[in-house]
Amino acid sequence: MAETAHAAALDPLEPRRLVAPHHDDKSLNETLLDHVWRKPGKGWFMLFGMTSAALGLLVLGVTYTLARGIGVWGNNQPVGWAFDIINFVWWVGIGHAGTLISAILLLFQQKWRTSINRFAEAMTLFAVMCAGLFPLLHTGRPWFAFWLFPYPSTLGAWPQFRSPLVWDVFAISTYLTVSALFWYVGLIPDLAALRDSSKGKLQRIIYGAFSLGWRGSGRHWHNYKTAYLLLAGLSTPLVVSVHTIVSFDFATSQIPGWHATIFPPYFVAGAVFSGFAMVITLIVPARKYLGLRDVITDRHLENMNKVILATGLLVSYGYLMEHFIAWYSQNEYEFWTFYVNRATGPYAGVYWLMITCNVVTPNIFWFKKCRTSIPIMWVASILVNIGMWCERFIIIVTSLSQDFLPSSWDIYKPTWVDWSIYIGTLGLFGTLFLLFLKFVPAVAVSEVKELQLELKHAEHNAHSHGAH
Amino acid sequence: MSSATSTATEPMGRFAGSSKMGLAFGVGAVCLIAALAGFFVGDASAAAHSYLIAFAYWVGISVASTIMLAIFHTAKAKWPIVLRRTMETMGATVPVFIVLFVGVVLGLKQLYSWWPESPLAAHIEGIEKVHLGHKQHGYLFPTFFWVRQAIYFTVWTLVSWRLRSWSMKQDETGELELTVKQRKFAPGALPFLALTITFAAFDWLMSLTPLWQSTIYGAYYFAGSFLAAFCLLTVVTVLAQGKDLYGSVVTTAHYHNLGKLMFAFTAFWAYIGFSQFLLVWIANLPEEAPWYGIRIFGAWRPLSIALVLLHFVLPFFTLLSRNLKLQPRKLMVVALYLLLMHWLDLYWLVWPAMTGKAGPSFHWTLPVAFVGVGGIAVGFALMLARNKFTLPVKDPYITESMRYVQP
Repeated sequence: MAETAHAAALDPLEPRRLVAPHHDDKSLNETLLDHVWRKPGKGWFMLFGMTSAALGLLVLGVTYTLARGIGVWGNNQPVGWAFDIINFVWWVGIGHAGTLISAILLLFQQKWRTSINRFAEAMTLFAVMCAGLFPLLHTGRPWFAFWLFPYPSTLGAWPQFRSPLVWDVFAISTYLTVSALFWYVGLIPDLAALRDSSKGKLQRIIYGAFSLGWRGSGRHWHNYKTAYLLLAGLSTPLVVSVHTIVSFDFATSQIPGWHATIFPPYFVAGAVFSGFAMVITLIVPARKYLGLRDVITDRHLENMNKVILATGLLVSYGYLMEHFIAWYSQNEYEFWTFYVNRATGPYAGVYWLMITCNVVTPNIFWFKKCRTSIPIMWVASILVNIGMWCERFIIIVTSLSQDFLPSSWDIYKPTWVDWSIYIGTLGLFGTLFLLFLKFVPAVAVSEVKELQLELKHAEHNAHSHGAH
Repeated sequence: MSSATSTATEPMGRFAGSSKMGLAFGVGAVCLIAALAGFFVGDASAAAHSYLIAFAYWVGISVASTIMLAIFHTAKAKWPIVLRRTMETMGATVPVFIVLFVGVVLGLKQLYSWWPESPLAAHIEGIEKVHLGHKQHGYLFPTFFWVRQAIYFTVWTLVSWRLRSWSMKQDETGELELTVKQRKFAPGALPFLALTITFAAFDWLMSLTPLWQSTIYGAYYFAGSFLAAFCLLTVVTVLAQGKDLYGSVVTTAHYHNLGKLMFAFTAFWAYIGFSQFLLVWIANLPEEAPWYGIRIFGAWRPLSIALVLLHFVLPFFTLLSRNLKLQPRKLMVVALYLLLMHWLDLYWLVWPAMTGKAGPSFHWTLPVAFVGVGGIAVGFALMLARNKFTLPVKDPYITESMRYVQP
C-alpha cells in the first residue's frame, strides 16, 4: 500500500516529528544535559558581561531612587505612575506564556509543550521577579513593603481591601510561589539525572541535595505525576487571575480609556501574546547554541507562532471593542481619548507603533512561510514585545496625562533613572536566564524521553495495523 | 491504514432518519403559531421578548457549534472527530434561523426603543433623548441594521455549509485533500465568526437598553452559547445510541473531555460575567450602573443571586467530580440542567428590559416560543442528518479518534 510506504510518519498530514527519531534515552540524556556539563563558550561570557553591565544600571537606578526618593522619576501630576506600572505590567505579561505552556497546554494534552515548558517556566519566574521590583520601588520606602500584607499590627492599620493594588499583592505573590513550585517539581527528575551523570563530587552533592532523594521508583513517579497535574490545575486559574487583577488596576477606575469591561480577558490575551513572543525571542538563539534543534523543532516554533497569531487577534478584538464602544456610547470623553488623544495627540507615534506591532505584525503568521522562517519570526517576536510595551505606555500615559479637565493636563517624560531601571531589569532577566541555561537542563529531559517512547509506540502500532 | 479505517466503521450505515423529525416540526409549528397568536391577539410585548429569548438561545447554540468546529479544525484536534458530524449539523441549521428571524422582525417596535416609531421611545426624555438620537443617527437605524443582519447570516451560513459539505464529500471519496481544505478554511473563518456573533449580541440583546453598553457584552453572549453548545453536543451524543448512530463508538474518554470542557466553560462564563459586573459596580457610573441596578436591587435581586448560584456555583462543584464526567447518563443530566440555565441567563438579560423594576414575571409565550423555535431547529437538524453518516466515516483520523484514551 502506498500509505504504508511512508507511514514512518504517524500523521499523514504532519510528517514533522516532535523529537528527532534517531534519539533514544541515552542520547537524549547526553544531548540535553550536555550544555550543563560543557564549559560555557565565549558567546555565553560575552552575553553574561552585557547583561551584568545592564544589571549594574539597575543597581545604580535603584540606589539613586532610594537615596533621593521617587521624585527622580518622570512621574508628575497628573501622571502619578508611569514607567513603574508600565514595566510591571509588561514583565508580568511576559511571564504568562510559561504558565500557559506548562499548565493549560498540559490540560489540553498538547504534546509539543514538552520541549519548551521548562524554558518558558524559567522565563515566568524571572519575569515576575523583575515585575515585582517596580511596585516595590514605587512605594517609596520598600523596607516597609510588608505593610502591604494584612496583619494585626500595633498601628491597627489594614490595607484597603477594595483596592486592586492590594489584590495585586496577593495575586503576584501566589503566582510567584506556585510558578516556582511547578518549575521545581518538574525539575526534580532532571536534577537527579544530573546528579547521576555528574563527574565531580561537589556537583553530585549539590544536584543530589536539590533532587530530594529522587530514585525514579514507581511510587516516586506516581506521586510526581499527581503533584504535577494538581499544580497544573492550580496554575490554570492563576494565569487568568493574575492579569485579570492587573487589568483591574485600571479598569475599576472611571478614567476614559481605562474603564472598559473587556479589560480582563483582553489583558490576559495580551499577556500570553507578549509571553509567547518573548519565548520565540529567546528560544531561537538558545536552541541553536545549546544544540537543541532535535527536540525544539520547526514544528514547535510554528505552533508558537500560531499562538502568537491567535492571541494577537484577540488583542486586536479588544482594541476594536474599545474603539467601537467609545464611538457607540456617544461619551465625548471616551471618544476623545480613543480617536483624538491617542491617535493624534502628543503620544500618537507610540500609538501607531503599537497598532503596527500588535495588530498588523502578527497577521504575517497567517502564512506558513512566515511561521517557519527563523529570521522573520525572530524579528516579529521582538516587534510584538515592543508593541506590547507601547500598549501599556499608551493605556497608562495617554489616559492620565490628558483626562477630563484640560487645566490639569501635563506631559509625561521618563528620566534617565526610569530608563536605567527598565534597562536594568532587562539585565537582571538576562543574567538570571543565562545562569539558568548554565546550571539547569533547559529542556524537561524526562518528559522528552516519555514523549519519544510514546511516539515510537504509536508508530509501531500504526505499522502493525497498516500491515494487516 | 485506510483498510483499518474502513473496518473500524464498517458496520456503520447511513442514518435512516428519525420519526422524531416530524414530531419536532409539528410541535414546533404549533407552538410558533401559538406564539404568533399571542403576539397579535395577546400581549405583543411579552410575546416579542419571549420570542427574542428563544431565538437568541437557539441561534446562539448553532453559531457557537460552528465556532467550536472551526476551533477544533484550527487546533487539528483528533479526539473530537467522532463527534464532529453533530457539530457540523448543529452549525448548519443556521439557514432555518433566517426564516425564524421573521419573528424578531415582527416585534422590532415592541423590543427596541430605538426603532423608528417605537412606542417605547415615548418614555425617553431630555438628555437621554439627545443621546438616543445620536445613536439612531450613527448605528441604530433600520438600513444599517438590515445590512448587518444580512452579513451575520451570510457569514454563518457560508462557513457552516462549506465545512459541512467538504466533510460529507469526504464520506464518499476519503480524499486527504478535503481535510487540508477544512483545516485551512476554518482558522480564516474564525475572526469573521467572532465579530459577527459579537455584533449580533450588540444588535439583538445589548440594544434592548440602547443607552447602556459594555465592551465585553459580545463575549458574554458567546460564553453562554458556547457552553450550551457543548451541553447540547453531549446530550445528542448520549442519545445517539442505536443502529447507524455514532454514540456506540464514543468512549468514556470522549465523555470525560466533554465534561471537562463543560466545566471549563462554566467557569469561563462566570469569569466574563463577573468581570463585567465588578467593573460596572465598582466604577458606579451613572450611564452604566442602572443596567445592573435594576437587576441586583429590588424585585430582580433573588433571580440575579440565583443565577450566580445555579449557573456557576452548583454546576462548577458538581462537574469537579471525575467520576461524574465518566458516566454518560449523569453527564447528560448536568448538560440538560446547564441548557436550562442558559435559558435563564438569556431571560435575565432580556426580560428586565421589558418589566423593569416590576421584576421577573411569567408569560405563557416564554415556553411556547422556546419550544417553537427549538422544535423547528431540531427538526431541521434531523432533516439535515437524514441519509448521511452520523460521523465522518472516512476522515483520515477517525480510527485515532475512536481509539482515543486519556494520557
